[in-house]
Amino acid sequence: MNCLHCANPNPDSKSNFCCSGCEHAYNLINRYGLSEYYNLYTADATERKVDPDSKIEDLTEAVEPSTDANHFQANLIISGIKCAACIWVVESILQKQTGVKKARVNFAKKSLFLEWQGNREEINRYAQLINSIGYKLLPLGSKIINAEEKKYDNSILKALAVAGFGSGNVMLFSFALWFSGNEMGQGTRDLLHFFSLLIGLPIILYSSRPFLISALNSMRAGYPNMDLPISVAIVLATIFSVYSTLTHGRYIYFDSVTMLLFLLLIGRYLDMQARRKVFRLASELSSFSPDFARVEKDGKTKIIQASEVKEGMLLIVAVGEKIGADGVVVEGESESEIDSSLITGESLPKFIKIGSEIYAGSINLSAPFKFRVTKPPQNSMLAEIVKLVANIETSKNRYVRIADKLARIYTPAVHIIALLTFLFWCFTLKAGIEKSLLSAITVLIITCPCALALAAPIAQVMSVSSLLKKGILIKNGEALEKLNHIDTIIFDKTKTITKGELELMDILYHHREDAQHLWRPSPDFNYHLKLAASLAKNSGHPISAAIVRKFQATASADFIPLAVAEHKAQGLQSEYEGETLRLGRKEFCQIKVDDCFYPQSSCFMRYKNEQLLFLFNDQLKSDALEVITELNQHKSLILLSGDTESAVAAVAKETGIKEFYAEQTPISKAEFIQKLKEQNKKIMMIGDGINDAPALALADVSVSFALGTSLTQNVAEIIINNDRLAPILDLLRISSKSILVMKQNFALALVYNLCALSFAVSGLVTPLIAAVAMSSSSLLVILNSLRINR
Amino acid sequence: MNILIFLIPITLIISLLGLAAFMWTIKSKQYEDMEGAAKRILFDKD
Repeated sequence: MNCLHCANPNPDSKSNFCCSGCEHAYNLINRYGLSEYYNLYTADATERKVDPDSKIEDLTEAVEPSTDANHFQANLIISGIKCAACIWVVESILQKQTGVKKARVNFAKKSLFLEWQGNREEINRYAQLINSIGYKLLPLGSKIINAEEKKYDNSILKALAVAGFGSGNVMLFSFALWFSGNEMGQGTRDLLHFFSLLIGLPIILYSSRPFLISALNSMRAGYPNMDLPISVAIVLATIFSVYSTLTHGRYIYFDSVTMLLFLLLIGRYLDMQARRKVFRLASELSSFSPDFARVEKDGKTKIIQASEVKEGMLLIVAVGEKIGADGVVVEGESESEIDSSLITGESLPKFIKIGSEIYAGSINLSAPFKFRVTKPPQNSMLAEIVKLVANIETSKNRYVRIADKLARIYTPAVHIIALLTFLFWCFTLKAGIEKSLLSAITVLIITCPCALALAAPIAQVMSVSSLLKKGILIKNGEALEKLNHIDTIIFDKTKTITKGELELMDILYHHREDAQHLWRPSPDFNYHLKLAASLAKNSGHPISAAIVRKFQATASADFIPLAVAEHKAQGLQSEYEGETLRLGRKEFCQIKVDDCFYPQSSCFMRYKNEQLLFLFNDQLKSDALEVITELNQHKSLILLSGDTESAVAAVAKETGIKEFYAEQTPISKAEFIQKLKEQNKKIMMIGDGINDAPALALADVSVSFALGTSLTQNVAEIIINNDRLAPILDLLRISSKSILVMKQNFALALVYNLCALSFAVSGLVTPLIAAVAMSSSSLLVILNSLRINR
Repeated sequence: MNILIFLIPITLIISLLGLAAFMWTIKSKQYEDMEGAAKRILFDKD
C-alpha cells in the first residue's frame, strides 16, 4: 500500500500514509473539499511528500500595509509549485480562510501574492497552513533578487511593440514608394514621405533608446560594442531621412530603420526572456537558512538572532540543527557526530568530543552539545569564504565576447571606409560635397550590422533554451563561449562525482574458526537487512537512513513493527521474539572482537548470538564512470577534494582520474586554480559545496548543482538541475555547436554587408536594396541559428 | 489620389488602437506569468 498523499511506499502495511506529515496534508486537503487536487496533479506525485518536521520562518517582515485600511499584503516566494493542481490547491485553500481577500500564484516567478484583512501576524498562520500541505513560503526580500528582477522590466517589450507598429505602417508607404517608379508625382511622394516621418520619427526616438544607451555606456567604458555601429547607423539614417523629407528629396530610410529596430528588439526580448527564466529558477532554488541561535546564560537558555551571537557565548545545538558560529565543544553527551560536508567536503559524519573545533554551517546529527563561540557568525570560516568569493568576483577580468571582439575591428573599419568613400567621390570623381557626403552616409547606413548584431544573441538564445530543456541553466551567456576554450576540468568529489549519501555495501557475519575471528558475507542478507531496517527506520542518522533505503530498494517484505529505544550517539535497541536486538556502535552491541580492521563507515548489529558488521560507502553517481571516461579522452581531469586521502584515492581509481588532491581546504582549492591559471590553463570547475565556492569563482567556467548550496548557485555560471553528470557532455557539445553557428552567422552577415557595401560605395543603393539586404541577411542568420535546436 | 488624405489617417487610427490595446495588456501584467495562464484554464471554477 502506498501513501495516499505522496504515493511513496508506506513503512507500515496497516497505515495509509508514509509519515505524519503526509497524513496531515491529506486530511487538510480533504477537510477543505479540495480532494480534486489528487486528480488534477500531473507532476511526479512522489515529490509531494510532506516533511513532518518542516518549520516555517517568521514572515512578518515581508508584510506591508495594503492600500485599503486594515488590510495587509505580502509577496512571497513559494516553492514546490509544479503544475496546475498546485496553483489551484494553494489559491483555493487560502481563499477559504477568513480574512483572505486575494491569493494569486505567479507560476513563472514561483511567487504568491496575498492580501488579507486583520493583523500583520496572520501571515504566519497562512504560511503554516501552506507548509502543512507541502509547499513552502519564503521571503522574497533578498536584495540581490529584487535588483535582478528590476532589470527585467517591460521596457524592451514596450519598445518592441512600438517598433512593430511603426515598421508595419511605414512599410505600407514604402511599398507604394518602391514600386511606383517614376509614375508617382512629386506631391504624392512628399505626402507619403511626410507620413513616414510623422510615424517614423517618434517611434525611432522611443524604440532606439536601449541601443543608444548601451552604445553610450560602451563608449564611456572604452570597449566599443556592436550597439555602437548600430546606433551610428540609426542616428545617421534618421537625420538623413528627415533632411530628405524636408528638402523634397527622393529617398528616405524610415522603413529600414524601424524594421531594423523591430528585428533587433525581437532578439533582445528573446535573450532577456531566456535569462529571466533561468534567473527565476535559480532564485527559487536558493534557500534561506534560519538564523537564530540558542544561547545559555546563567543556567537559562534563550533564543537570540544569529547576528547577536558574540565571542565567548555558550551555544546549545540540538539534534538536526545547524551550527551558527565557529567554536570549541565544551560539553556533550559522550560523543556526538556532526555533518561538516558543507565546509570541509568530508563525506562521512565526523565524531566530536570536548575540545573539538567546529565550524558554522555544520549540522548536528546525533546528540545535543554545547560549545563556546570562538568566532561569531560574521567572522566564521563560512563568512570568510563568502567574503573571499565576493573579492574574487569583483576583481575578475572581463571576458571579451566574440561579438565585441568583432565590433572592435568592425566599427573603425566601417568608419574608415565611409571616409574613403567621401574622399574618393569628392576628389577623384569631383562629385561635389553634397553628393559625396550622401555616398558616405549611405555606406554607414547600409553597413549597419543588423545581422551581425543578431548573430550572437540568436545563437545564444537557441542554445540556452535547448540546454534548459535538458535541465541545464546557463546564467550567463559568456559561459557558452568560454566553454569552448576549456582544456582542464576540475571536479569536487562529494556530491559531484559521488552521490554524497551512504550506501550499504555488504553485511558481514562474524565467524569463528580455529580460534580466529573471521568476517564472512552474511548467509541470509535479506533477513539481516530486514531486522536492521526495522530498527533503523526509527532514527534519522545517515547510517540508519542508508539501511532503510537499501531495504526499500531490495526487499519487498514489510518492516517488522518494533518498539525501539534510541540511545543517543550509541545505537538502537529493541526486543524481537523475546531476544534483545541491537544496532549501533561496537561497544553498544557488546561485540568483543578486536583483532580486525573495519572502516569508519560501518555499524554493528547483535541478535541472539549473531554478530554482524554493516559496511557503507559513498557511491558514484550512476553515470559518473561513463561521463568521466568520455571526458578523459579530450580534457585533462583533476579531482580536488576536502575528503581524506583514502576516500579520494578510491574514487580517483574507480573513475580513472589520474590527478587527485585530498584534504584540500576552500582556500587551497582556490590557490590551486590560481596556479593553474598562471600556467595559462582554461579551467572548468564543477562543485557543489561552500568549500568549492572560491574555486568556482576563480575558474573560467563554473558549474554547480541545483541541490548544492545557495552560495555556490550564486557564484556558478551554469547550474545543473538534476544530480547526474551527463549534462556536462551536453553542455560541451551544445557549446561547440553554438560557437560554430555563431561563426557561420558572422560569416553570412559579413558577406552580405560586403556585397551591400560595394553597391553603396559606387552610389547605387536605393532604399529598396537597403531594406532587402537588411531583412534577408537577418532572416538567414535566424534560420541558421534554428539548427542548434535540432 | 486625394482619397489618401483620409485613408492614411484612418489606418493610422486603427493601428494606434491596436498598439494601445497591446500596451494595456503589458500594463495589466498579462505577460508576467504566461505559463500560469496556460495552466489556469484547466480549473473548472473561478
